[in-house]
Formats: sequence, structure tokens, C-alpha cells
Amino acid sequence: MKKAGLILTLSVFLLVWVCPHAGANDGPHETAPGESAGWLADAGGRSSSEASNIGRQESLRQAAAAPAADPFSEDYVEEEDEVADLHAEEKVTIADPIEPFNRAMGAFNDRMYFWVLKPVALGYNEVVPEPARISAKNFFDNLGFPARFLSCLLQADFSGAGTEAGRFAINTLWGLGGLLDPAGSETLNLQKQDVDLGQTLGVYGVGHGFYIVWPVYGPSSPRDTLTNIGDQFLYPPSYIEPWYAWFGVWAYEKVNAASFRIGEYEAVKSAAIDPYVAIRDGYIQYRAKSVKARKEKSLLFRDAAGETRKE
Amino acid sequence: MKKRLAFMGILCVLVMSTAAYAAGPLATAEVAVGKVLDVLRDPKFKGPEAKQAKTERLRVIYKDMFDEIEFSRRTLARNWNRFSPSERAEFVDLFEQVLEKAYLDKILDYSNEKIVFYQENMLSDKQAEILSKIVTSSKEIPIFYRMILKDGKWKVYDVVVENMSLVQNYRAQFNDILGTDNPPEQLLVILRKKVKEH
Repeated sequence: MKKAGLILTLSVFLLVWVCPHAGANDGPHETAPGESAGWLADAGGRSSSEASNIGRQESLRQAAAAPAADPFSEDYVEEEDEVADLHAEEKVTIADPIEPFNRAMGAFNDRMYFWVLKPVALGYNEVVPEPARISAKNFFDNLGFPARFLSCLLQADFSGAGTEAGRFAINTLWGLGGLLDPAGSETLNLQKQDVDLGQTLGVYGVGHGFYIVWPVYGPSSPRDTLTNIGDQFLYPPSYIEPWYAWFGVWAYEKVNAASFRIGEYEAVKSAAIDPYVAIRDGYIQYRAKSVKARKEKSLLFRDAAGETRKE
Repeated sequence: MKKRLAFMGILCVLVMSTAAYAAGPLATAEVAVGKVLDVLRDPKFKGPEAKQAKTERLRVIYKDMFDEIEFSRRTLARNWNRFSPSERAEFVDLFEQVLEKAYLDKILDYSNEKIVFYQENMLSDKQAEILSKIVTSSKEIPIFYRMILKDGKWKVYDVVVENMSLVQNYRAQFNDILGTDNPPEQLLVILRKKVKEH
């Protein structure tokens, strides 16, 4: 009981302390469209800009020589892409100083998937019908309520927090302890909030740092690693004792989750020219978009997010 | 001669008026995806030997739906300008084959999931983003189409699956391979190998 009180005071303190700071630092940061232009210049690399200029002139000359109707002769123009990408901030990259380590871990995870996770999940799929697997997923999702609820509060997304509280109450009481998801039905339409502590830091402007691929856990960053540990503290199954019972539950949850996603990794891998870079970019794009979606729901950042949308 | 001229004139007017009366981007995307679903659902094409026939029918539809040159140009971005027109043509062709091989099986796997087109965001007079989703029993997969108006026809130049833009994802990979001054040939060699290995 004492512990719960402590956590509550801590979260309220964090909320009060972080808000004014974040407002002062991040308000202008988010609305500045010049940011993206700066990034673009950086990405191109100053030393290389000359070289690419020469290249462009050359291809322009070639384009002029080719017949006008040839669609292949049309050059790439930077501006047209600005419009297409809608939000300048979408252009996200991540530093990757430990790439050799990450590539090795990626290769390890690849083997783990094909040698362990996939065969187990396929066997599990054969034995357990889909409705039962969905129920198991619902059950674990329901236990994730404390982490999602706290993240919503910390992000000043009070409607999201309300939705989560309502879902937890309804699904626990009328959904057989979370096995069913009556709250998510069409009539009630209380959908699970896609939220975690890593996004919460992201909303307040904390960057990833750099890219890390953990064995088994997969793509991450220092920010998301630390906050994921925080999320685990708020996840009841983490407290199961003894450790092998915890491990059994953990492994079961992973296999159950994987059973819905068999084939997705294979598809990404076969479509990619360099799967490592494809997954790194996918991870960073996905995280950036979800942070942006959270900002639009936050009382503190909604206006800033809306402004960038209009631009 | 006069008759022929008049005929040509009428033809011109007809062609131009259909161009001006192009369907909106959402309708265009929805119709194209609807055609794809018709092929996939067609009971005539059951069984494994029908795969080839299905593939050919689908190819006609997506060639009409996608602007593969626009797609290629945006994925190569700045590097596109370092490719000669013939290198560009080869790149577009190889890239298309890679994409077809990667996604065809996924599309042929279709088993009556519901596809809903629900929103059209105009980015400018000539660009739009169409929001759709695939609804399955365990999840919803958002798929957005980014479209551009060219010669009176809306064409897709980027697909955003679960918030991940294909153009951006391939751009990251091609940037990594080409860097700032690796020759275009380097990427073409990798693509040729990738097309062959399947």
C-alpha cells in the first residue's frame, strides 16, 4: 500500500516537474520546419554536396539530350518530396555506432527465429485454435494495463487513461478476467492504447540515442531499453516466482504473440535488399510515428502537433 | 482526308475529356484494389496451376495502378540523379521484379479479409493520401496509399504499411549501399543477384 502511494506521488511529481520544462524546450523545437532542412543538409554530408552537384549537372545534361517524353530522363527534385512526406519530421534516422555488433545480434536473432520460435509457434498453431490464442493474447494485454495507464497519465492524455481504466474494469469483470475483450467491441469501442514509457519520453522530446539490437529482444535503443525495464516493473507477470515459472509464462507469451505473426519476418526479409537496414529503418519509423500519434493525443503537445500538420 | 481529320479531332476531344474527368484518388485506389480482389476471389482460378494466370491478370492491374518510375525515383532520391537514363530504366525494371517476387505470394495468400477505404487526404492539387485498412479476426492492418496525379490519372507512388513507408524504407537501404559516391553499378549488381536468387 505504501509502495503504491509512493509511485503515485512520484508520478505526480514527475508530471508537474517535467511539463513546464518540456513546454519551454520542445514547443518551438517541434514547430520549426527549418529543423528538417538542417537535417537534410547533414544527411547529404557537407563534403559530398559538391560531388552530388556535379553529378546532378551531368545527369541534367543527359536528360536534356534524351527525348522529352522519356520518363526516365526526369530528375529527382528535393521539393516534391517535402510535400509527399507530409511532415518534415517524418524523415528520421538513427545513429548506429555499434553496427558490427548489431549485425551479429541480428544474425543470431534470425537463427533463433527460424530454429526455435517459428517451429514452436507453428506447432502451437496446429494444436491451439485461433479463438483460444486470441483469448491468451487478450489476457496478457489486460495485464499490461498499469504500464499503459501510467504512460497515458504521464503524457497528459487523460482520455486515453480513462479509456484504459474503463477497459481494465470491463474486461476484468465481464471479460472473464481479461480473456475476452468486450470493451473493444463495436458497441463500447474502448480500444487498447498503443502506449509505453519509451514513447512517453519521446513525447517529451527525449531522443533514442543510438541503435542497439539485443539478443532475443531485438531492435531497441538506450531510451527504449531503459523504459522497457520500467514497463516490466509495471507488468504483473514479471513478479512471478520462482524464476523458471516466470520464464515459462514469458516464453508462452512470446510464442502466443508470434503465432499471429508467422510469415511477417520472412516477408520483410525477402522484400529487403539489406534486411538489417530495412529492419533498422522500420523500427525507427514505427517508433517515430507512434510518438507523433501520442503527441496529438496529449493535452500538452496537441497544439504543437496540430500546427506541424497544417504546414 | 477531311473525314479522317474530323475523326482525329473527335478522337482527340474524347480522349482529352476522359482525362479531365478522371476519378478522384480514393475512387481510383478502391477500384484498382477491387479489381485485384475480383481476380483473387475468381473461382475459375482455383488450384496451384492457376497461379500463373492469376499473376498475369494481377500484373496488368498493378501496372495501371502504380507509377513505378515515380516510386523508383523517390526511393533513390538524390542518387537517382547520378544514374544515367539507361541505368534508371534497368533499375526500375529490376526493382519491380524484386517487389513483385516479395509481395506476390502475400497477395495470393488473401483469404477473404475485409478491406476498408475510409479517408482521402489531399496533400495538394496533385497529391493525395488514401487511408485504408485490412481487417482480420485478430488485428487491423492500416495501409495508406500515396498518390500523384499525372496526365489526368491518379497513380500510387508509395505504400505505407503499418505506419512504415516503403519508399522511405528502401531509400534507407539504397542510401546505405550507394553512400554518397559509390557507382550506381554497385546497386544494380546487388539487385540483379536478388532477382536471380528467387
